[in-house]
Amino acid sequence: MRPIWLLLPVAMCARAGAADALEILRTQCGQCHSAATAMSGLDLSTREAALKGGSRGAALVVGRADQSKLIEAVERKGKLAMPPAKALTGEEISVLRRWIDSGAEWTVGKHEAPKPTWWAFQKVVRPEVPAAAGSWARNDVDAFIARQLAAERLTPAATAAPEKLARRAYMDLWGLPPTAAQVREFVEDSSPGAWAALIDKLLASPHYGEKWGRHWLDLVRYSDTAGFELDSYIHDAWRYRDWVIQAFNDDKPYDRFIHEQVAADELFPEDPVARTGTGLYCVGPNRDLFPDQADINREEILTDYVDTTSSVFLGLTAGCARCHDHKFDPISQEDYYRVRAVFAPAVKVKVALSRLESLGFDVGESVREWKLREIGEQIRGAQSRCSDQLRSSQLKEMPAEAREAVQRSDADRTPRQRELASYYEKRLRIGEEDIRACMTPPEAAQLREMEKALVRMYSGYRSKPFSCGLADLWNVSPRTFLPARGSRAEREVQPGFFSVLGGGEVPPAAEKRDTTGPIPLMPTTGRRTALAQWIGDAANPLTARVMVNRIWQYHFGRGLIATASDFGTRSGKPSHPELLDWLASEFVSKGWSVKQMHRLLMTSAVYRQDATPSKAAAERDPLNILLSHFSRRRLGAEEIRDSVLSVTGGLNLKRGGRPVVPTLSAEEKATLTQRPDDAWVVTRDASEHNRRSLYLIQKRTFRMPMMEVFDAPEPMLTCPRRDSSTTAPQSLSLLNGNFTVERSKALAAKLAAESDDAFIGGAWRSVLAREPDAQEIARARQFLAAQSRNAGGREQAAGELIRALLNLNEFLYVD
Amino acid sequence: MSIRTRRDFLASAGRGFGAVAASTLLAAGTNPLAPRKPHEPARAKAVIYLYMHGGVSHVDTWDPKPELARLSGQTLPASFVKGLKTSRIDFTKALARGSAWGFRKHGQSGLEISDLFPEIAGHADELALVRSCHGDAFDHAPAMYLHSSGSQFPGRPALGAWAVYGLGTENQNLPAFVVMTDGAMKCGPQGYGAGFLPAVYQGTMFRGGKNPVLDLSNPEGVSNQTQRATLDLVADLDRRHLAARPFDSDLEARLESYELAFRMQAEAPEAVDISRESEATRRLYGIGDGPSDDFGRKCLLARRLVERGVRFVQLYSGTHLGDDWDGAHNDLTGSHNKMAAKTDKPIAGLLADLRARGLLDSTLVIWGSEFGRTPLAEGKNGRDHHPYAFSMWFTGAGVKGGRVLGSTDEFGLRPVENPLVAHDVNATILRMMGLDHLKLTYFFQGRDMRLTDVHGEGEFTRFLLGG
Repeated sequence: MRPIWLLLPVAMCARAGAADALEILRTQCGQCHSAATAMSGLDLSTREAALKGGSRGAALVVGRADQSKLIEAVERKGKLAMPPAKALTGEEISVLRRWIDSGAEWTVGKHEAPKPTWWAFQKVVRPEVPAAAGSWARNDVDAFIARQLAAERLTPAATAAPEKLARRAYMDLWGLPPTAAQVREFVEDSSPGAWAALIDKLLASPHYGEKWGRHWLDLVRYSDTAGFELDSYIHDAWRYRDWVIQAFNDDKPYDRFIHEQVAADELFPEDPVARTGTGLYCVGPNRDLFPDQADINREEILTDYVDTTSSVFLGLTAGCARCHDHKFDPISQEDYYRVRAVFAPAVKVKVALSRLESLGFDVGESVREWKLREIGEQIRGAQSRCSDQLRSSQLKEMPAEAREAVQRSDADRTPRQRELASYYEKRLRIGEEDIRACMTPPEAAQLREMEKALVRMYSGYRSKPFSCGLADLWNVSPRTFLPARGSRAEREVQPGFFSVLGGGEVPPAAEKRDTTGPIPLMPTTGRRTALAQWIGDAANPLTARVMVNRIWQYHFGRGLIATASDFGTRSGKPSHPELLDWLASEFVSKGWSVKQMHRLLMTSAVYRQDATPSKAAAERDPLNILLSHFSRRRLGAEEIRDSVLSVTGGLNLKRGGRPVVPTLSAEEKATLTQRPDDAWVVTRDASEHNRRSLYLIQKRTFRMPMMEVFDAPEPMLTCPRRDSSTTAPQSLSLLNGNFTVERSKALAAKLAAESDDAFIGGAWRSVLAREPDAQEIARARQFLAAQSRNAGGREQAAGELIRALLNLNEFLYVD
Repeated sequence: MSIRTRRDFLASAGRGFGAVAASTLLAAGTNPLAPRKPHEPARAKAVIYLYMHGGVSHVDTWDPKPELARLSGQTLPASFVKGLKTSRIDFTKALARGSAWGFRKHGQSGLEISDLFPEIAGHADELALVRSCHGDAFDHAPAMYLHSSGSQFPGRPALGAWAVYGLGTENQNLPAFVVMTDGAMKCGPQGYGAGFLPAVYQGTMFRGGKNPVLDLSNPEGVSNQTQRATLDLVADLDRRHLAARPFDSDLEARLESYELAFRMQAEAPEAVDISRESEATRRLYGIGDGPSDDFGRKCLLARRLVERGVRFVQLYSGTHLGDDWDGAHNDLTGSHNKMAAKTDKPIAGLLADLRARGLLDSTLVIWGSEFGRTPLAEGKNGRDHHPYAFSMWFTGAGVKGGRVLGSTDEFGLRPVENPLVAHDVNATILRMMGLDHLKLTYFFQGRDMRLTDVHGEGEFTRFLLGG
């Protein structure tokens, strides 16, 4: 392509003029005059349509701008004044005039957009690091921050005290508070490398993946259930959750992380662990178990695939383009369906984690099902004499008319009998206990044998050795059609990518595999491979920018772009555009290593600032966009629960595995959509209930009240950034909820010290990881004395003191 | 944002829990629930939405169809049922069934209402009936999401959440958006959720008993005195923490959220204590009267909440784990007689009581259901789900009653005049509350999202107000 450009300077001029003109048409007129909207019948998206014109006739007369309706309208000389809201600039009008006069060429390639004007769609160019002024800067990140602070005449805050830094680092990387000993260890380490060493230590721990994996799970709308009326379990969802945690712990390069999630079945077919990454496409909302809605379900699932892929990896909100060209961003409906076509051949499959084990499981399962049916029959048989007997004695107590109605078959009933039957049948209750009481010893013995057989069948029953993943049905795909709309007929589209990001198509060669030879083990189209490689390409303008911005946001509370999953034209400009690009380029050049980014950001001076703003900063930059200090943040729902467990000594640090279902009160379970027996099957081993919160079951229709109240995300939607609200129900929950009360008592009992002062010291060290000062000791002594009288004893008073500490801002916030 | 001094804090704390006025949490700008001015003058300060969960048969209640009775037992002409699809029956094969209930004209307006609702029928002249609602979701949960949030998919904010987002609430000591149910519902909490709006706007489920809100009561064995002393310790230590951290309104707001929680603990149990009502009032709602007792209590509670400044009360009748309007699949007469017996008197009592107390003028009362039921029979004595036509009614807040909007064909299969969808209904309800559905937006995923998405052109506020 390049040599041709050079050889044809004239053509280039024409094309450049066309690109500008077309960009004006698209951005200024396209909202009302696209193929989809075509107001007054006018569609300005293709040359043919524009020449055909709308109800007012042709929009253009090629070569004659002065006779073209379009020019008349934009110059607002005649009846029409377009665009209605705001006139075009003189410059824009002259671009359009020149373009029509020179032939109104529509020369932009098929899926090649005019040159992107929006910064985020342009390639990342690594900027120069500004020269450091002064001694504040510790690394290159600071140079960018310092330059803007200086420009706004703000000064950075002092370095935070080491106690605060320790808590900040533990919370940011582990989501767990440091113990008093861990804080002391850092405070007392005066070596110059102490901070970097702490970061390395935290990054090396598996707790790191538990914290950062949760961020990713927010983005990919992770849930253990499918949602909707039945909210059935997605059985192997947790394997994907564990895969995400492990990927962060392994510092899996981000491009590889993308490849595995989008196309591991094609790229790494023999690696079941990698294939579990495609579980991204299994853990979303679905109605897979509603066969009568298979068509709707498939539509919605494909929509979810496109929306999730584009918002999570690319920070693009493509959803609008499902029904019409995107109104704000240059994503056409056709683009949308091209990406959708990538997923057209993909279906959810069982991924065998280990071939032999999976085989054994499947065989065992088929035998078990056969036996189960038989035992079920036998149990019914063994119970039949007693259940018949109990039924007839209950029937005897009914009015004769009702008895007759119940005993008839439904077809033979009169309407009156039908009503009676529906009422009285519900009153026939034959309980398990009644049957047992009625049985003869031999019958009871027989039943016990069957029950034993049943138990034997399930002893040693374990999680299935499968994960859920994606695979193509075959090496050819169902066709994808751009739906008909208005005057536009339905038409087939080929798989491809968003034009504005350089476009491109899935090479058709990928689909033309040799079909004469033996059938490959897993025939596939290669479509998702092409997509994964296109997203994970260093040249993709969005991928690296979006991810470094997310990492930045989770460290600093706010991204350089505040809308972390929307880099489109409505997102605004970054607060530090050059820093964003520098980070994106650094990310790629450091091998897409997320841990390297943590090291880079956390060792900066800007990260190590104290959280108190200067007066000037509080007034002029209340949102702390320029980062003149650290932004204090409230802990997230999981962090609060995990912190309470951790400081009260109850946290079970076991990692991974099936989701845990803790005990909830009847009131807490009141909003479950299904019977609590089925929907909330409590995990038998109570020590499991105190696992880290990300291992608790995530149901799509029901959030645990304590999690919900502290802004755990709505699991139907991708959540790029959590809310951090302050409400009275939060206070009620943390103050009065069973969880806090039990944990307070547990720590109080554990600390049971002889003297008040020893207890107070222990309480402060456990909950706040520090020593109380003299004033606090005095206040706490007074409290213990008063509450011993109020609450009926020293033990209660001690529990109350812990309950108070667990509700402190000092405990709930990170400085 | 003004920063209050330590002395202010101590002074207000010293006056005890009722006294933290003009505080950070209550100030607009920080408090997401602070009362806000509507876009335009509001007719309804509050809404009580009576939601009959399970699907109420329109042709047996509000939409008389004599022609259907005439063709009872026959299949309907193919042209009428073309394109209709529902959960269990086949429209081309199922037989028409006339209503099991008689219809009578009521009030001066002569509004035709079936004998299922004799008590509500006594208020015929107050009801603005809409007979031409329709939708396309024929399963419960999607239909419920569609009505409450404008989308068949869960995850978008519910009407009540939007209303509170737009208007805040008058009483900070009670939840702004209260939900009461008979038990588990097919839509789950997403039927009254905040979706992408901040969680503070979601409906709060009121539980039965004297502690309607989760964790409202002191922990077991903790007296009010003990609770107060513990809260005082929290406040003292938080104030010291705050003193070293100037310019942080979040920390201040959290300090006050504990005071607010404490006030809620005092106020909410009082609000739900219907033993304070006279015997006559209780009887008016059918409390203590067999089937209507439970829903009667909820309706009375709804009035007490609205009286105290609660913005939006969503009251569901029916649950899918027991008694249900959806019992009409197998037993139309049984289910509808039973559910009507539970709700008829309480609803009529609510309307009478609101009027008597002067609350009806500022309270919009809405009656609805996720869909109607097929005019065709399911099995021997049933009707299937029918989203293609159903009825709703509105009263209070200046609504001119005794009137009907829209109509359905002679069988009640589809609307023929003024077809209205969920967006039209929601646009109308927002407008009655003084909110313009076009202006009430929230930026999410690159768009200014609206309850009505890009629809709502069929808003019918003018009809409700007498136009």
